[in-house]
Amino acid sequence: MWLLSGDAVVCLELACEDCISFLWHAVASWTWDAQDETCGICRMAFDGCCPDCKLPGDDCPLIWGSCNHAFHLHCILKWVNSQTSQAHCPMCRREWQFKE
Amino acid sequence: MAGESKDCYDKDDMDVDEKDKMPPKSGVMDIDGGHLHGERSDSKLVKNIGKVVRDLRGLGFTSMAEDAYASAIFLLLKAKVHDLAGDDFRTSVLESIKGWIQAVPLQFLHALLSYLGDSFNYDSPSSGLKSPLASRPPSYPGIDAPSEALVRWKLRLEYFAYETLQDLRIAKLFEIIVDYPESTPAIEDLKQCLEYTGQHSKLVESFISALRYRLLTAGASTNDILHQYVSTIKALRTIDTAGVFLEAVGEPIREYLRGRKDTIKCIVTMLTDGTGGNSNGTGNAGDSLLEELNREEENQENSALEDGFNTDDKQAWITAASWEPDPVEADPLKGSRNHRKVDILGMIVGIIGSKDQLVNEYRVMLAEKLLNKSDYDIESEIRTLELLKIHFGESSMQKCEIMLNDLIDSKRTNSNIKATIGQASQTSTVSEDSGISLDILDATIISSNFWPPIQEEALNLPGPVDQLLSDYSRRYTEIRTPRKLLWKKNLGTVKLELQFEDREVQFMVAPVHAAIIMQFQDQTSWTSKKLAAVIGLPVDVVNRKINFWISKGIIAETMDPESDDHMFTLVENTSDVNKNSGDGGSCEELLAGDEEGEGPVASVEDQLRKEMTIYEKFIMGMLTNFGSMALDRIHNTLKMFCVADPTYDKSLQQLQSFLSGLVSEEKLEVRDGMYSLKK
Ligand SMILES: [Zn+2]
Ligand SMILES: [Zn+2]
Ligand SMILES: [Zn+2]
Repeated sequence: MWLLSGDAVVCLELACEDCISFLWHAVASWTWDAQDETCGICRMAFDGCCPDCKLPGDDCPLIWGSCNHAFHLHCILKWVNSQTSQAHCPMCRREWQFKE
Repeated sequence: MAGESKDCYDKDDMDVDEKDKMPPKSGVMDIDGGHLHGERSDSKLVKNIGKVVRDLRGLGFTSMAEDAYASAIFLLLKAKVHDLAGDDFRTSVLESIKGWIQAVPLQFLHALLSYLGDSFNYDSPSSGLKSPLASRPPSYPGIDAPSEALVRWKLRLEYFAYETLQDLRIAKLFEIIVDYPESTPAIEDLKQCLEYTGQHSKLVESFISALRYRLLTAGASTNDILHQYVSTIKALRTIDTAGVFLEAVGEPIREYLRGRKDTIKCIVTMLTDGTGGNSNGTGNAGDSLLEELNREEENQENSALEDGFNTDDKQAWITAASWEPDPVEADPLKGSRNHRKVDILGMIVGIIGSKDQLVNEYRVMLAEKLLNKSDYDIESEIRTLELLKIHFGESSMQKCEIMLNDLIDSKRTNSNIKATIGQASQTSTVSEDSGISLDILDATIISSNFWPPIQEEALNLPGPVDQLLSDYSRRYTEIRTPRKLLWKKNLGTVKLELQFEDREVQFMVAPVHAAIIMQFQDQTSWTSKKLAAVIGLPVDVVNRKINFWISKGIIAETMDPESDDHMFTLVENTSDVNKNSGDGGSCEELLAGDEEGEGPVASVEDQLRKEMTIYEKFIMGMLTNFGSMALDRIHNTLKMFCVADPTYDKSLQQLQSFLSGLVSEEKLEVRDGMYSLKK
């Protein structure tokens, strides 16, 4: 018979005569909540990953600067480390600071 | 039959006395052989024949006399081979034939030759021409030292027997391969025969024409052709360890399969799906071909420890191949490019042209499968991916791996989200407005950049469901910030339970079907226009989708005379309508979407089609001018002229599959590899 996990079966209308109960398996995609679609450093999609990574998402996270520009964490770290003096945001040239 | 001939062979080592007491057996042996074994008539017959031969010799007819008894013996041998071999491919007959040659014609010839006084001692029977049959030192029962003439006779008879058996088996090779692996003994026999006669080209020619006539026809399903192809490879590689002739035999099959639209799909299914529809009996049931190949490889690795590969064997084959006077089809250079063994997977991939196409197709099929799951169980998909990684490399399978990871991740996220329900969060746990708990919602969350393109439909879900989705999203963002969810509302699966006055029915449907039926809760009758507006889909789409519910007897369709529109009404009571298909209480599972034959994931074909349509006009124009053109000519012309906007960058195989699409749409026709406009 129907496998509904007990209390999971819920009637949409109270005291209805014709009644539908359901288990919904939905599909969504995740996305980074950023203004841009691609990383200004590596030009790869934020929802993909940086050139050094294989797995998107938590393994290759985004990071925001205080200027509100977002980059792949790995990309901006590389950028910051390559700068001899104070690093600036590659997008707006403001002094780079990680957003708190 | 087999047992009887075995007797013949088993007695081989006995001395003549015992053998002579054996009663005559088969009909054929009765006539001639019987006499040989009868104690008196035996020598009498030999004497009589001997006299005739001597008399003929005396008259100068030496060769005529020999021709006479030779042709009698060969006829007898041929009949014997046919008799022993028959249509039974499951037992080996070579040994019986050899045994019979020893026991009957050689005995007779020995007697005859000694009567004629032709025999003299043969010093080293192992030197000179050595028959590969004689793995043990040639033994002539009852004959101490065979004469040279007798040895020559033995070679002649055996060669004739091998050739006869080989021709028989080659003529039936198609059936033998259908019967593979049970027919392995017949294949082994054929292998030995060919090693002796070296007539491999006969096999190639005859088998190719059998394939054309029996297999490569419009009536054969792509699956059947593929399975015969795999059986052919498996069967022939025992004969042809270097894959030299396999290359030639396989080419017509590959060529033919390339013209079929569903080939890639069938190949991927055969490779990855153990439950797949074909019960042709290759491997264990429930075992994908990939699984089987993998197991085979492991076994080979184990045995490889003892002895890597019989290089002598391979060399012998290449030498045999280069003997062939007509090596056009079986070009030994083509086949012997250093494979250590016949690579079945390589020969399958060879049909498609590149492993990338195969991997792409698998990815689409995997996406379809994963998006239709109502749980997160992906054990078999993980196993398949591991096997694919072994064969195609990890980097090729990277995207598929991420897709599977998404499912694993989704499962974890889903239970984390459910766990937040119990906790006090800043907002209330159960959405108060609907009173529905999040328990009835699960979600698969995908990294869409790594999935094949997915068709999205704007679809209005019922209010309470929408409420659940936004509740779920909010909780997701809480635990995974700064990530958020974008719902693909047309995707997923819904288990529905419909309760009526007189029945209860369960379904597994796509969201669109659930969205439609749930509208009938508040209002049991809808015109298609109004329903379409509420669902948020075009009227024709709604009319098509609602057919699912009509076919189940849940909804009835009428014409509304006022609005001249389709009118859909919920069937509250089965007695209202004449009994329809929906039996009360039965659990009907149907993944809706299947009934239209197309899922939300864009197929590789569709993707390619989209990219290729710009060339369609060009191709049609070309064919109008040139009449008919071969594939590679079309390919080269496109390459030459379509250099910009956009540059033609498709492979030959991609072009071919696009063209076969046009053929099935009856825009083009193809004959003997030449494409032309359909008249
Ligand atoms: Zn980046
Ligand atoms: Zn990274
Ligand atoms: Zn900035």
